[in-house]
Parts: sequence; C-alpha cells; structure tokens
Amino acid sequence: MNALVDKLKKLRAQAGAAAAPANAAHDDTERLRRLLQRRPEPRAASLPAERVALAGEEIAPGLRYVEAWRPYEAGAPVLPPRWHDAHAVARERFVCFDTETTGLAGGSGTRAFMIGAADWHDGGLRVRQLYLTRMAGEAAMLDAFASWLAEASVLVSYNGRSYDAPLLATRYRLARRANPLAGLPHVDLLHPVRRAYRGRWENCRLATIERQLLGIVREDDLPGAQAPAAWLAYLRHGAAGRLMQVIEHNRQDVVTLARLLDAMAVDASPESFVATMSRDNVTACA
Amino acid sequence: MHTDLATVIAEKIPTRRDPARLLQALEQRYADRITGKFTLPGRDGRYADLPPDLPPRLRDALRARGVERLYSHQAQAWASVRAGSNTVVVTPTASGKTLCYTLPVVTAAIESRAKALYLFPTKALAQDQVAELLELNRAGDLGLRACTFDGDTPGDARQSVRLHGDIVVSNPDMLHQGILPHHTKWAQFFENLRYVVIDEIHTYRGVFGSHVANVLRRLMRVCAFYGAKPVFILCSATIGNPREHAQALIGDAVHAITDSGAPCGEKHVLLWNPPVINPDLGLRASARSQVTRIARASIRARLKTLVFAPSRLLVEVLTKYLKDVFDHDPRKPARIHAYRGGYLPTQRRQTEQALRAGSIDGVVSTSALELGVDIGALDVVVLHGYPGSIAATWQRFGRAGRRRQAAIGVLVATSQALDQYIVRHPEFFENAPPEQARIAPDHPLILLDHIRCAAFELPFVATDAFASVEPRPYLEVLADAEVVHREGERWEWIADAYPANAVSLRSVADGNFVVVDRTDGRQTIIAEVDFSAAALTLYEGAIHMVQSTPYQVERLDWEGRKAYVTRTHVDYYTDAIDYTQLKVLERFDGANAGQGACRHGEVHVVRRVAGYKKIRYYTHENIGYGPVALPDQELHTTSIWWQLREDVLEAAFASRQAALDGFLGAASVLHTVANVRVMAESRDLQKAVGSGDGAWFATRDAHGRGQWRATDGTLARGGERHAPTVYLYDNYPGGVGLSDPLFRVQADLVRDAIALVAACACKAGCPACVGPVLAADEAGSAKANAAIVLALLESV
Repeated sequence: MNALVDKLKKLRAQAGAAAAPANAAHDDTERLRRLLQRRPEPRAASLPAERVALAGEEIAPGLRYVEAWRPYEAGAPVLPPRWHDAHAVARERFVCFDTETTGLAGGSGTRAFMIGAADWHDGGLRVRQLYLTRMAGEAAMLDAFASWLAEASVLVSYNGRSYDAPLLATRYRLARRANPLAGLPHVDLLHPVRRAYRGRWENCRLATIERQLLGIVREDDLPGAQAPAAWLAYLRHGAAGRLMQVIEHNRQDVVTLARLLDAMAVDASPESFVATMSRDNVTACA
Repeated sequence: MHTDLATVIAEKIPTRRDPARLLQALEQRYADRITGKFTLPGRDGRYADLPPDLPPRLRDALRARGVERLYSHQAQAWASVRAGSNTVVVTPTASGKTLCYTLPVVTAAIESRAKALYLFPTKALAQDQVAELLELNRAGDLGLRACTFDGDTPGDARQSVRLHGDIVVSNPDMLHQGILPHHTKWAQFFENLRYVVIDEIHTYRGVFGSHVANVLRRLMRVCAFYGAKPVFILCSATIGNPREHAQALIGDAVHAITDSGAPCGEKHVLLWNPPVINPDLGLRASARSQVTRIARASIRARLKTLVFAPSRLLVEVLTKYLKDVFDHDPRKPARIHAYRGGYLPTQRRQTEQALRAGSIDGVVSTSALELGVDIGALDVVVLHGYPGSIAATWQRFGRAGRRRQAAIGVLVATSQALDQYIVRHPEFFENAPPEQARIAPDHPLILLDHIRCAAFELPFVATDAFASVEPRPYLEVLADAEVVHREGERWEWIADAYPANAVSLRSVADGNFVVVDRTDGRQTIIAEVDFSAAALTLYEGAIHMVQSTPYQVERLDWEGRKAYVTRTHVDYYTDAIDYTQLKVLERFDGANAGQGACRHGEVHVVRRVAGYKKIRYYTHENIGYGPVALPDQELHTTSIWWQLREDVLEAAFASRQAALDGFLGAASVLHTVANVRVMAESRDLQKAVGSGDGAWFATRDAHGRGQWRATDGTLARGGERHAPTVYLYDNYPGGVGLSDPLFRVQADLVRDAIALVAACACKAGCPACVGPVLAADEAGSAKANAAIVLALLESV
C-alpha cells in the first residue's frame, strides 16, 4: 500500500537486528537517523568468533584457494555429449563450474563470493575452489578463475547459461577485465536433464537429480539458499563455521556436475545437448 | 495511416475556416460574458540555411520530408550542441523542437555510430518519437536504428536494443529500474553514449522531478565508469525558469535557447464568465453549458476545436453533448472524439492520427493532450475552468495556432472562487509570468533512496561524491541497515535485494484497474483506470463512460483490481462525493507559536468516497444519491500544524465563524509561503483545516465561507466547539520530509505569511493571499480574520 512507510518499518526492524559499526558520531548521520526515526541500536555484543579454521591457503589479500584431487573410476577417454556434426570432446577439456553468490536479485549489485570448478586431471577429478574473505579479493578471484580456462575449454554447469555465466560477465565488466567465459562452448546440463527426466521425480533441482540418478546422499548439507548469510556472517563477525559448510556444498555441486555429465552421456538424447549450445559453439569445439 | 476518402475530399473543398469571423460573432453576441480579451501578435518566421556541416544523406532525408531550411532556434541549437554545450530549448508547442535534437543526434550516429538516449515522460510520446525517426530514416536510407525500451519491450528484443540501438527511446522510470541496475549489459551503449535528450522537462518538478534529477546523477555516474560524458539536450514548454530548472535537473551548466524562430499567427484570448441566471442567489450558468455552446459554434464554423476538461467524467459528458449535435448519424465516421488517460493505447493512437489527418473536427481531452503528442495544429482551444497555473493555461492555448492564421483560446470560468478571481481580474492573467518549476534533488529521503540504488550499481569509494552531495552519512545509514558493507575506503552493495524496485519515482503506483464489459455474456476489457482514480470512478452503481457510451458498474473487485460493467441507456451520469480528513498519530516535537502552539508529527490522512450523486444530462438536476462502500484511501505522512486555545480565540474573535474563516485564510497564506520556502510543488505539500481531534474538518462553501463537516461529510449544525487547526502535510506516502524543515522555520513562516497578507493590495482577500473570497462580509473580511489568526501565532 505504502512503499515508503513499509520501507521505514523494514529499516527499523533491520536496525533491531543489526550490529551497527561503531562510527564516530557524525552530525549528518544523526540527522538522517532522526529523519528515519530510528536510533542507532546499542551495538550488540560481537558474537564470539567461532574458532573454526579457514580452509585452504590465502593466495592473494582476501582470497583463499582450496584444492582436492580424487581418483575417478576412469570412463571413456572422451565424453560424447552427442551433439550433431561434432566430435566427442576429450574429457580433460571440460570445466564443471558453479558459483555461490550474495543472492538472486540480479543486476550489478549481486556478486559471486565463491567459484568452484572440477576437471579431469592426472587421471582423477580435481576440484579447485576460490572464495573471498574480504571483498577486496574479488579481482584476484576473477583473475585466478580466468587462468583456469583455456581456449579449448568446454564449460559445464547447471543453469549456468542463464545464471552463473551472466553474473560472472557482469563481475568481469565491473572489474574492467575481459570475460574469459565469452565465446567458450557451454554445456548447461539443466536442459538435457529436464528433457530426460521431467515428470519422473518431484523436480529437476540438482540435489534431487543427484540423489535419484547418481545415488549421492549429502550429509549435513547447508542448503544453497543459506550460502549468502553464511558468507556475510564471516564477513561481518568472522564466524567461519557455516562458510566452511558452503565450501563443502559447492565442492559437492561441481563433483556432481562431473558425474552427471558422464551419466547424461548415456541417458540423454543427443538433441537435448544441442539445445544447450549455440551452433557456433558446437562448431568451435568440433 | 488513416487517410480515407472523406479526408481527401474535405481537403479539396475550399475551406472558409476563419477564426476571426468566429471571434467577431462571439464578441457581438456575448459581450457581457467576455470579461477580458487580449491579443498576442503574430510573428513572421525567422529562418536559417541548413548547416553546411550536415551529412549529405541527412540533408537529403530532410529535403525529402520537405525541410529546406531551419527556424533560427533550430540553427542555434545545432551550433550550441555541436560546440559540446548542454542546451535547453524552450519554444512554444509545434515550433519544431524535435529537429533541435534530431539533427545533432542523427549526425553523430551517421558520422561515428555515436549513441543517444531519449527520455520522455510517457510511453506514448516515446512511440511517437520512434515513428518519426523511422520515417526520417526511410526518407534518407540512413541505416539508423531507433527503438523504444520500456516495460512493453519483449524480453527477446531487449538484447538487440542494448547491442544495436543507435537511439534508445525510454522514460525515467525504465532508466531507473531497468537500465541502470543492469548497466553492464549496456556497456557498449554507455561507452558510445554521446547525447542524452530529455523532452518535456517542465513535467519533472516537485517530488517526481527531484527523483528524476537523482536518476540522472546515477546515469552520469555510470557514464563516467564507461568513460563517457554525454551532452544533454533538454526541451521544455514555457516555464518561468527554464535554464535554472534544466541546470538543477542535470547539475551542470546549460545554455538556454528561448527565442522561437517559428512563425505563428496572432492569438486571441477570451476570458469568459457564464451569465448570472439567478441574481438573487448569485448563481451562474454552468461552465459545461458555455463550453458546449462555444465548441458548437466553433465546429459549425469549420474550425478544428479542442476542449480541455478538468476530469475524465467531464470529458465524457462534454463529448456526449457534442456528439449529440454532430454525430447523430451512426453510418458516418465520428466527427467528435474523446481523449483521456484510461483509454487503450490503440484508441488514443487512432484519435491522434485522425487529428493529424484533419479527419475529425472536435476533441475533448483531459490534460493528457497538454504534452507534446503530435496532433497537428488546431484553430480553437476551449478550457473548462482554470487549469490551476498560468503555465498550464498557456500550454493548452498553445495547441491552437496555425502558422499564418489567427487562433482563439477561450478560458471559461467555473463557479469556483479561483476561476472567478481569474476572469474578474483579467489584468492578473495577462501579466502574470508563468510559474517556476522547482525541484529539491538534495532532499535527504530521496537522496537516501538513490544513493542506495547507486551503491547497487557501482561501489562508492571514499573520495567519490554523488553529484554535489557528500554521500558518506547516507552510506553509514545504509551500512547500519546492512545493505552496504564498508571495507577500507570502499562501500559495496551486499544485500540480496534489487533496490530500484522499491523506489517509485511517481509516488504510489498500486496497479491499474481494468474495466471489463460483460454485456451479453462478453468478457471484453474496454478501459484501464489508475489506482488513484478508481475509488472516484468505479464504485458500484457508477456510470462509467467510454467515448461517451455509458456503462454501469455492477461489481467492483477491489482486490482483483477489476470492475465489471454492462452497457446501459440511462439519462444521467454519476459523480462521487468525497471528503478528506486528517488525524494526528504521533507528535515528534512541539514549540510555542505566539499565544498558540506549532507541532510536528505523523498524521493519518483519509480520503473517503461517501456516496455519489446522479445528475441528469442537460438539466444537471440532482435526481438521486447512492451509497458507496469502499476502503478509505489512506496516507500516513508527516505534517506540521498550528493551533490556538479556545480562550484565546474567544477573546480575539466576535464569532466562531470569523475564527474559522480566519483559519482557512491563514492556511492558504501559510501554504503559499511554505511552498516557496521548501521549493515544493503545491501538489506535494497540501493544506487542511480540521479540528484538533480529527473528528471534524473544514471546507469552504460556494462563497468562500468556512463550514464544519463531520467525518462522514455531514454538515455541522453549528454551535459546536471545534478547535480549528491548520495542517500542512506532505502529500506523499511516509512523508517526503517537507514538514521537518518547515517545523524548524515555523516562526519565519508565520512572519512571512503576515508580510504577504499586509503587502497584498486586495481589500477583503484574494487567491494571491488568503484564498478566494466572494462573500461580502459584515463581520470583518476573511483577510482581516486571517491576519488576526496569524498575529496570534506570531512569536515576538
């Protein structure tokens, strides 16, 4: 009914929950606060920072890197996402990736705070993850991810064509960097999965598919929707516990992508892969 | 195109259109009704050659469209813009403003594929503009890509507009919600953005204008990120301060071109007061009857006639009256059209085309035709009532006038006091300069909204300013609310929210109502009505007219935003009875004001439709009432108010009536001086007089005398004691923050008000001071009573 009043109410409610940073009292700020009819709340005692160690190593200020390698029961040396007029692609060229972001609002204000990628390397599956411990690490994260991609790379994602890739394109643009994803072929498994299994299970979310199709059961998983809050909790209060769960969640997501690619090579119709890629891209990877 | 045979034939017939003859006839027959008459002399055109540096293909395209030379102001605009100056062009309607920006924009597109962004206040104007550009494009095979980008642009077309549009035509709301928050998708567009064109800048005033100024600040911030610094080309109808207003909007120096080189015929303005029909009661004939009479005469004289009516209802009523005369043969194409908001866009486009083609003779419109929709030139404009400002009056009159022919504008007064004042003081109208457009872009709450949106678009770094504003305090408030996060010297957006969606540039927009015709089992949408007008026009029992065809509202689904109507054949129309009432919710602060008190706080404003009247066509007799049960229209906002104690009033006034009249007068003066103080549009700041407890409110009767009404609208019987209170409140949900600064200068406001009343040359009161007063008075004039109230409130 009344957008501004609602907003003021919301602001008040948020003030109750928020721990205001201790700023030197600023006249203008005080005046604004009065105008908004809200007082700065007495600062909530800082949550005792959980003594949880951060995973991985810091490779740049504000950026940490986690790497894991696992043996992979070797399938075919090439994977045939059987698109038309194209040769099968050497397994090593696939990069299965997933981002964790600050939300779903879209636009230039939404960012990725974690990028995970799985690829076949040294005869097994390598999982590499980047995550921010401060916002200032973003440029280094984007550069590091770009360095993982080569001209011959083929991207694999779940809904990444409409979500992760455009979001990263925005971040590269804002960081004034070339977008390393541009022009790479991109297999978005959401579409072939939908075609192959629509109506068979309750939905086509990645967690459902991996449970039903691959028999993967996650233990102690943090739902993806809670990822933004987990990162903010670390950013604001240094509480790392939930953030470590997000890393685990993201790791499992990209491993699932790799296994799903294998499974889909058997199950899905060739046409459904074609639909996930533009024809230019198909030719490019021929 | 709508060029039918009738049009072709009509053009072959030698016309005897001569406004001068109509003018003569009116003056002879109705000398006693014409209270003022003045003539604006015609002017020859002043021309300039097409600029030598115009690209040959554009030159050819212009010639193909019949443009061999420019008006002097178009040539000046070309020189100014090409020199890289921000430029505002302020010339009358139909003086070729469009070419002022088309020439440099198209030239830059041809020469270097430079991009341009056009902003219009409405989608209809944007579509007109693109149609015109495409015609020019075809005429010269310019290879130009011009497209609209607004809420109607389909998703799959958007990508193409972003990448390939040379000229993108949009509106401020879309820039705010759809373009800036996604600026990275528009990177190529912004990198090459050379010109920003903003037309109709006089509509960007008050709260809306303050929002738009901040959207432009955000636009410039995004442009700077992409290394672009576009030149602004602005256009405005006549206002008192075009250059200052343009500079306030874009926050930069602007070169003003105000001297039109377009020729125009002389223009005759008549002020018209309906005749007195009952001398005992001082009753005058209705403006409706007079407007109909003048329009009939004008259309019979084969003059193209445009009637402006103040409400959608009156548009329909007047259309019916004219159709009854001119459109009684249903086999022939209609000669009279109605035009207003709420019609479907296709209907309006048809009327616009018919006007341009000259195939209709009369149009009745609301202010919707005040803007620069291309309808060609007309001969006669008739206004039903004073539109409320000098600028709007001239803008409507500006619709009349062919290049070498005289045109007529007639202002017909209603019985309202302000109208009566205007027609009885023709010298006031003739000499008054047009109003100034005001905005307050640095208003804290509006700024907070836009700094929030700006932080979403690009992070703030410590040294960044937001235009001329230091953003730090705002960022701290946003950090408190945890929507931005501060890290070192950077403030970055962190919340999972899309802030532009929560900020509406045009106050409350709650979704339109659709009108569904269910006659004979149909289910056809015949009209749309915006939320603010729904309660007044779509109550159950209402006669809702579309092109003067009456439909009756059978059911109103308030939640579902639908009104179900059926075709009807009644001989009456309906008019809502509504009341506004105010109640104090919370006092923030208070101070002494002379012998009274001034307070500042939160109020609850309720607008209630209590019922409706049935009014018979032509006789206008009231033939019945109906009840209305609708939710109240509510507004929580902030207000400042003044009160005097009962004993103080008893001592100072002979009667309670005098005290009430004094308060109503004081409210008018305080409202005026407050508007000047906070540079607000009068629609943003409202005034009211009520009782302190919110149980009663005061209105003026037909003679300008105060009367108390209960909250259900019934008149007080008299004898009650209601402590009169003057309220000034923000007419904006949540308050736009006007009343807080007003409270801080409340003593100055009272002093200014006293000075204004003292300096006014009128005897008993006039619209320029205490408001319109017609009743001759025994017990002291309204002016004197207002002066007493103000003196009691003065802090010495």
